[in-house]
Amino acid sequence: MSTQSASRTPLAVLISRPWIWSWAAAALAFAATLGLTSGRGAGELAYAALSFGAFAAIVGMGQMLVITLGPGNIDLSVPATMTLAATLALRTMGTEPGTALYGLVIALAVGFCVGIANFALIFLLRLPPIIATLAASLIYQSIAIWSNRGLRIKPPEGLAEFATGRFLGVPNVAWVALVLAILVWVLLERLTWGRWLLATGQNQRAARLAGVPVEAVRAVTYVSVAIFAALAGYLLASFSGGAALNMGTEYLLMSIAVVVIGGCSVAGGDSNVPGVWGAALFMFLVVSMLNSYGTGAGVRNVLTGTIIICIVIAASTRRARQ
Amino acid sequence: MTKYLLGVAAIALMAGSVQAEDTSGKRIALSNNYAGNSWRQAMLQSFEEVATKAVADGVVAAADAYTTSENQATEQAAQIQNMILQGYDAIVMNSASPTALNGAVQEACAAGITVVSFDGVVTEPCAWRIAVDFQQMGREQVDYLATRIPDGGNLLEIRGLAGVFVDDEISAGIHDGVAKHSQFEIVGSVHGDWAQDVAQKAVAGILPSLPEIVGVVTQGGDGYGAAQAFKAAGRDMPLIVLGNRQDELQWWSDVHAESGYETMSLSIAPGVASLAFWVAQQILAGEEVPKDLTVPFLTITQDTLAESLETTPAGSVANIAYGMEDAKEVIASAK
Repeated sequence: MSTQSASRTPLAVLISRPWIWSWAAAALAFAATLGLTSGRGAGELAYAALSFGAFAAIVGMGQMLVITLGPGNIDLSVPATMTLAATLALRTMGTEPGTALYGLVIALAVGFCVGIANFALIFLLRLPPIIATLAASLIYQSIAIWSNRGLRIKPPEGLAEFATGRFLGVPNVAWVALVLAILVWVLLERLTWGRWLLATGQNQRAARLAGVPVEAVRAVTYVSVAIFAALAGYLLASFSGGAALNMGTEYLLMSIAVVVIGGCSVAGGDSNVPGVWGAALFMFLVVSMLNSYGTGAGVRNVLTGTIIICIVIAASTRRARQ
Repeated sequence: MTKYLLGVAAIALMAGSVQAEDTSGKRIALSNNYAGNSWRQAMLQSFEEVATKAVADGVVAAADAYTTSENQATEQAAQIQNMILQGYDAIVMNSASPTALNGAVQEACAAGITVVSFDGVVTEPCAWRIAVDFQQMGREQVDYLATRIPDGGNLLEIRGLAGVFVDDEISAGIHDGVAKHSQFEIVGSVHGDWAQDVAQKAVAGILPSLPEIVGVVTQGGDGYGAAQAFKAAGRDMPLIVLGNRQDELQWWSDVHAESGYETMSLSIAPGVASLAFWVAQQILAGEEVPKDLTVPFLTITQDTLAESLETTPAGSVANIAYGMEDAKEVIASAK
């Protein structure tokens, strides 16, 4: 990132990382909540943050890949994809034991098809991604409504136990999100494909002239975000006892917020996996903190907005100075 | 048209007996602002069942349901304008806003169309309103808790969607109830957006900072999520007032079998759409109907749990289908 980091102190190096701000904010929110209880319930709060942060982290990483593609690239069909994948998967499983893997395949297949459809609209019809994914999401949501009329089907027991269970004291869903985070990090930092993605995001024309298969990179990215959303929907429905038509609603803004707070560049070409995880934890902890302090909904929204703006400013001024 | 109808009603009254007008040529439309949850889906289904049968029986000529894709007042206003142009005789509506659609409703009234709003009612005076006493729904929860836990204790409040009229009303009722039963104190309040997963997340976040909770007051669609969060935190299960969703009733029935857990469940039945349909039909038939009607909410107790659970489809909401007689009863009780 910076060639001068070798000559700076470790603290300065740490502060220069854009992801540090979301982690610092999450830690502050955590400490402030525990300040109210004088330390009681720390484990409980951390466990809840990891559980719920995992869903935001999974959709956030998908959204991060798309936003990294450069200006104008975004996937607004994330909530509808989550709902559709979860609805179809849970309906196929129909609470039968031993069908968890089959359901997972259905969910991922839905994600794959949604991704292909989104990219087809963007590539073949030359629609701006914001319009294409928003319009397509109405179709996905309608299919979800039509396929099940809003009935909430329970997940098979084994799957529900896995989704709400823990391993080594950490929620299983957090392990899933963690493994995905490592995969995405390796992909971005160590593999050619990641370099192609960053190059495309920094300057699409230059990347194309340099021989990067730009359209292939975009296609794979739009399919990835849909698959991530589908997986998050599948896990969330298994975790919360069924797929509901409105289950994805809050993940539209959430997926974009964690990318921005995580220190990724909204203009593209600069992604940041650890930052997204920190931001996902922060988004849960800040609401918990404000709820614990008993602030009303209006004040809570104003404070959440203000805090987000502050973190984004902090993270982006650091980047600008480098 | 309205004048004509009033005239007919007046003559009929003078004659001493109300002669119902034939509505077999009338067309009724449902204007719905949102379809994205199980309650709304059950509502649309209720309307469809009643409407299909009414058309088949020749009670009305047509009864069509329309839903806007986004939950927005502007879109619903355009939808109502289309209905005016299509020449419907009555519009039954669940409104996106109590005030933002008044202009469109006024246009419909001016075109001689009967407008009946329900659940999400409109304030425009020319329209009829089938409202639920949401404040009472809140008060009743605390009254119930007072009978079960006479010593009182700490309560957790789960609210709905911030900024929505219904959320403010139910919450006001709950706070009213707590003021009356001063042995209770609300120590925490979160917004669950009437969705189980959102409620679960919000409750899981606030629980670590809360003292012992004896009861949870809710708004519907959030009780199961709250129970999951208490279970995950390893806390004693408080008395959670439920909201008639099938998964909540199933959970209640399961824990009752396990440990004798008892609670209550209350919400508006989605069938209120069918009630609104029959009220509109009665108005078209020349009945004199007061502008403000109240529909009771559907309460499920330990005694009626098994029966309700049996009649509620898996994953749906407990429901009542209203018929023409029910509409006449509601109208008579409002006079």
